[in-house]
Amino acid sequence: MPPAGPPPLLPPDVRHRLQGLKLRARRAAGSASGIHASRNRGAGLEFAQHRAYEPGDEPRLVDWKLYARSDRLFVREAERESPLTLWILLDASGSMGQADGARPDWTRLDAAKALAAGLAQMALAGGDSFGWATLAGDRPHLLAPGAGGRHRDRLWLELATLKAAGGFPSAAQWAPLWSRIGAHDLVVLLSDVFDPKTIDLAGRLAGAGREVLAIRLLTVEERDFPFRGAQRFRDPETGEELPGDGLQLRADFLRRFGEARARIGAELDTRGVRHVEYVLDEPLDAPLRRLFGGKA
Amino acid sequence: VSAALLAPLGLAALAALLVPLLIHLARRDRQRPIDFAALRWLEPRPKPHRRPHLDERALLVARLLLLTLLALALARPALLGGRGAGTWLLVAPGADPAAARAQAPKGAQARWLAPGFPNLGQSAPEEAASISSLLRELDADLPRGARLIVAVPAALQGVDAERPRLSRDVDWRVQPQTAPPAPPRPPSSPTSAHAGPQAPTPDQAADQAAVQTLVLRAAPELEAGARYVKAAAEAWSPSATAAAPDAGPLSAPLPNAARAIAWLAPGPLPVAVRDRVAGGAVVLLPVEATVDGLGPATPLWRDAEGRVLAEGGGLGRGRWRRFTRPLTSEAMPEVLQPDFPARLAALLSNPPPPPALVEARAYHPLVGAAAGSPSPQDLTPIMALMVAVLFAVERWLATRPQRADTP
Repeated sequence: MPPAGPPPLLPPDVRHRLQGLKLRARRAAGSASGIHASRNRGAGLEFAQHRAYEPGDEPRLVDWKLYARSDRLFVREAERESPLTLWILLDASGSMGQADGARPDWTRLDAAKALAAGLAQMALAGGDSFGWATLAGDRPHLLAPGAGGRHRDRLWLELATLKAAGGFPSAAQWAPLWSRIGAHDLVVLLSDVFDPKTIDLAGRLAGAGREVLAIRLLTVEERDFPFRGAQRFRDPETGEELPGDGLQLRADFLRRFGEARARIGAELDTRGVRHVEYVLDEPLDAPLRRLFGGKA
Repeated sequence: VSAALLAPLGLAALAALLVPLLIHLARRDRQRPIDFAALRWLEPRPKPHRRPHLDERALLVARLLLLTLLALALARPALLGGRGAGTWLLVAPGADPAAARAQAPKGAQARWLAPGFPNLGQSAPEEAASISSLLRELDADLPRGARLIVAVPAALQGVDAERPRLSRDVDWRVQPQTAPPAPPRPPSSPTSAHAGPQAPTPDQAADQAAVQTLVLRAAPELEAGARYVKAAAEAWSPSATAAAPDAGPLSAPLPNAARAIAWLAPGPLPVAVRDRVAGGAVVLLPVEATVDGLGPATPLWRDAEGRVLAEGGGLGRGRWRRFTRPLTSEAMPEVLQPDFPARLAALLSNPPPPPALVEARAYHPLVGAAAGSPSPQDLTPIMALMVAVLFAVERWLATRPQRADTP
């Protein structure tokens, strides 16, 4: 159940639309170890324990052989290890704090938090475990993968206090990620991917056998550049300022930014990172649907 | 009608227009910077085209207008030639307005020839005023091209002794007498000075009678001079059989009916006599009397050489007259002249009113005065009102809730 907090991290309608979606990893899907989405209890891979029968347990779960030996009813329980672990990499650098002038309370980071909550919701629905790391400042902050509602609550709690500040961590500070993110894990990166270091991180994770997905968050102003008249633009991470006339800068910016988007996309493609773009005025489930919906 | 500025230097206040312009220009630098992470793809223009950009145009316009109006108000704008050209029909009180209107051309501005020039539609003004003065006032106020028609009754009251001289030719229309002339104006105040004693006119018969009841009171040392006055008073009597004038020492009581008193005593006037004078009597004093506290004195009687023989002034409702020389034949030979009684009677009698009644036909105004410059109409009250309204608009614009930012 969502906590009765002031703004729910995940709006109910988005939560509803996400119900039909399942996390899907290309490598996991169709592999010999079975479909990770299966929740067939008892047909698990590894025996866990016997426990006493309680009314309501399915008869087929009863260990009849043991009953024959001991004349008592026991239920076989299997601990099913999920074949899928989801890692949510949340970029919390200063550029993520950018919002549109028309909607100043909806920053890129807010959208990323909501997407993270949605991903956690999907993992929870699929019985998959999930962990997360926030990337900002000196070193990434990690929480080990886990499953269940309480782990989800922990995620929500941490996201509630997360602020966008600082720059993207440099390559030397990525070490914890290498040790914690296991091979064949599913990694979803939520970032604007403007920083080449972000591309580098995603590319190296993908090159090391993880399946990496990236959701590139763009603001409406970056897509449309609706500025008129004299403005001062400031880079939130470097503090660099650039004065200019909105109309004059527009055409050139749209051209150069379009090229940059295409180049970043191409680079991510080259390095084996699946990616989608999400602009802040789109519905929240759109990027997830593009990533995990359909046959993919 | 033309506009003019009475204090053109006030326009220097227009320099204050720079202030709101600067305020609205300076806001560019106080702009909040926009967070823009994609700054690296924004190409800085090597030569940013700095076009002056003004924010809040409406507010700026209101402020500029307000300052312009204030500067204009300081320069004191005025309208020259407030009264329009065209034909003006002036009807003097006493003339028939309907007949005057019938003669005047259509479209003429019809007014009474009275202070303030009220419309002819109003009732005839009661107050009598100097027609000459009104004519001169209107002539100075009217623009050069205006034509003036003046309808006057056959006899004019309240005119100057001279024909008025105006800057334009006046269509002078004398109406046949319809209404009886207004009663003569009351005499001007007793303090007013006049040229000198004149021969008595029939109008002054009543006054003359009052003078004939001269009451003579003389101190013993002035008995000699009192004889001349007494003789003159006796000479006024219409017949020899009439009673002798009431003459006596200072201690004798003054009859209540005494309108003319000869108080021939040195020193200040006693309070009792003074009260009589204030009550409307006329008192004759010798040179030995002191007239401190009786008010300013005016020469009333000069001899052939122009030396003052008698002076006088008003006191309350009455008058005082004083010889400036001792009443002796040596100091004042006029006392021996045969016309001394008549002169003395004139000195004691009321001054005649100035001639104010004239036949209108003879009073056609002359042409040849310098044209007056019409008095400008001050527009400051209108400007003040406009400034107040604009200030309210400016405040409303500046404090309305949907404003984005200061100033």
